[in-house]
Amino acid sequence: MIDFLQILLSGIAVGSSYALMGLGMVLIYKSSEVPNFVQGEMALLPVFVAYMILETYGFPIYVALPGALIFAVLLGCFLEFAVIRRAKEPNVIGLIIITIGLEMILLGFVSWKFGADQRSMPFPISPYDSVEIGGIFISSLDLLTLVVALVLMLTLFLFFRFSKLGVAMKATQQNENAARLMGIKTNRIRMMSWGISSLVGTVAGLLIAPVIMEPYMMWDPMLKGFAGAVVGGMTSLPGAVFGAYIVGIVEHLFGGYVSMEFKSVVAFAVIVLVLCIKPSGLFARHYVKKV
Amino acid sequence: MKMKRFLVGLAALVLVFGMAFAAGAEQGVTDTEIHIGQWGPQTGPAAPWGAVSRGTDAYFKMINAEGGINGRKLVLHYFDDAYNPAKTMAGVKQLQEGEGMFAWVSGVGTAPGLAVKNYLMERKIPWICPSAGSRHWVDPPSKYLFAAYPMYFGDAQVLCRYAIDKLGKKRIAIAYQNDDYGKQGLEGAEKELAKKGMKLAAQIPVAVTDKDMRPHIMALKKAKADAVLLFVTPGAVARLIGTGKAMKFTPQWMTTTTCSDYPLMMAITKGLYKGVISANFGLMDPSKVGAIKDLNNPEMPLLKKYKKDGYDKFAAKGERWGMTYAVGFSYAETLVEALKRCGSNVTRECVVKELEKLQNFKGTMGNISFKPFDPKDPMSRLGQKEVFLMQCMEGGKAKILTDWVETEYIPVKHK
Repeated sequence: MIDFLQILLSGIAVGSSYALMGLGMVLIYKSSEVPNFVQGEMALLPVFVAYMILETYGFPIYVALPGALIFAVLLGCFLEFAVIRRAKEPNVIGLIIITIGLEMILLGFVSWKFGADQRSMPFPISPYDSVEIGGIFISSLDLLTLVVALVLMLTLFLFFRFSKLGVAMKATQQNENAARLMGIKTNRIRMMSWGISSLVGTVAGLLIAPVIMEPYMMWDPMLKGFAGAVVGGMTSLPGAVFGAYIVGIVEHLFGGYVSMEFKSVVAFAVIVLVLCIKPSGLFARHYVKKV
Repeated sequence: MKMKRFLVGLAALVLVFGMAFAAGAEQGVTDTEIHIGQWGPQTGPAAPWGAVSRGTDAYFKMINAEGGINGRKLVLHYFDDAYNPAKTMAGVKQLQEGEGMFAWVSGVGTAPGLAVKNYLMERKIPWICPSAGSRHWVDPPSKYLFAAYPMYFGDAQVLCRYAIDKLGKKRIAIAYQNDDYGKQGLEGAEKELAKKGMKLAAQIPVAVTDKDMRPHIMALKKAKADAVLLFVTPGAVARLIGTGKAMKFTPQWMTTTTCSDYPLMMAITKGLYKGVISANFGLMDPSKVGAIKDLNNPEMPLLKKYKKDGYDKFAAKGERWGMTYAVGFSYAETLVEALKRCGSNVTRECVVKELEKLQNFKGTMGNISFKPFDPKDPMSRLGQKEVFLMQCMEGGKAKILTDWVETEYIPVKHK
């Protein structure tokens, strides 16, 4: 029983970082209708910027982390403003290719600027300390990730429900033309979505970096977050979160009880299964565009 | 008329001799240069290993600055294959058929190497010291392929023996990368334990893409392992040890030659690497058991020279003097030695002959010996068979645990 609970808890712990990446992807999918493959690298660059602020310029962590987050927002806004918005009559394939291209550019830039050596981000909480609850362990960093993920989700929920900007974003996502007619600057709103998405992803990155930082560190969380978002239906924020937790837990149960060898591919089997049974995702309200 | 006939005759003679000379000259060798090729990942997930190529480059530049080899300069052509075998093949073909390489040295990775092995061997182009301890290099042996990197199963043998005999460990487990590298470790460990009538307490596969090690640690913990061999990448080692610490699982961790860059390992594990035992194949003299060594301040005279005359002078700004960089020098030592011995007559056959004559050659690795080519004897093309053990200490220093230990070759199980 203890084993099972430990597996469950570990699945939830890893699911938290997937959930943050998934949230980021859904935010952009809802506004720009593109699965954003640059999501991981939009987090990678700010994480390395935080490292640079810490190590090269010697500023303390409470400067580096907010610095990275501000940079992340600017980066997200910039990518939307400078690249995505410029796409002429974009279709989904074209936009996907653009995001993949951006992914390669940012990854290449980080590899070139910071080198390929692995390193570890100095962080006030050690990823290797843990809390024990009745024989079950959770590392302090995992606990922090879990709390941060939950707080961020709640904040986003409140933001979309009650803030003017949030409601404007929702309006733009639901019907862009109508939103524009109501006086909402939809372009600006879309840019903000990219900024917020980049911020959410960067939070995940900053919580992964204390373990190991390297140019490829965000690829796996991004794919798993994407898997979670697809499971949840791509358009639903709570869906992405639940989907990501499902992916994390299934992965761990599979690794623990079935086969460790195929643990990391099971996420994709989950995607296939969900797409076969309920293509719109487990949590998305079925939505048909009226002609 | 006579004069004209004489001139035509002379021209014909020059042409014939000229062509004969051209046919006799070896590809990739001119009067002033010897062209050597190498691949290595400078980008992609395996990019940290790309430092090998940059090390070899500095080594050649150091040799050239000292006058080259018998008046010829060494020119290294290295390219980024991103650890992608398709790119390795394309790059090797391009360099070989375009510029024409005399020989190839090192080259990171089993899969990239396997992709080009047949291409190079069919064309009788020497390839010296692939940078991976794969049995594919020597089993079956090829006349033009000389391996010096000790086999990974040897690491497992020596580590298991030490854990049982010296540390009194009873339950040995292994976490192994699910490929050639890891499976060799598994095989070595199983064989060594069988000799002592023991079995592995657990054997846990780790996928190269695995970032989350909690399930692996749970399985090891459940098996109550008291010593765990880690045949995985440095990053995965860091994750496993760290996750182990968080889940209060702290056996004696033991790992391979690929994870013996202690300053790096200490940095990426935030100091948890202290106490870990690993195998090593060079860069230190292990003859004094108990001595403390520091990779950053090498004692070995040859390595000291490499650092001073190679790294200090030719490394790019920001390049770290680490194990991966330093072994870039080591892997090319036997080739350089053979070229020196060939004198002015630099041919592929001569290099092969001189390499075969090497007996207990001592560079910055262990003793390296080859034998005349025997298609049935892998040992004729496996230069180094010995490793030693060391333990990571405070500040990334290394405590020598054993002198050189000869490992036993385990042949490939041919189906």
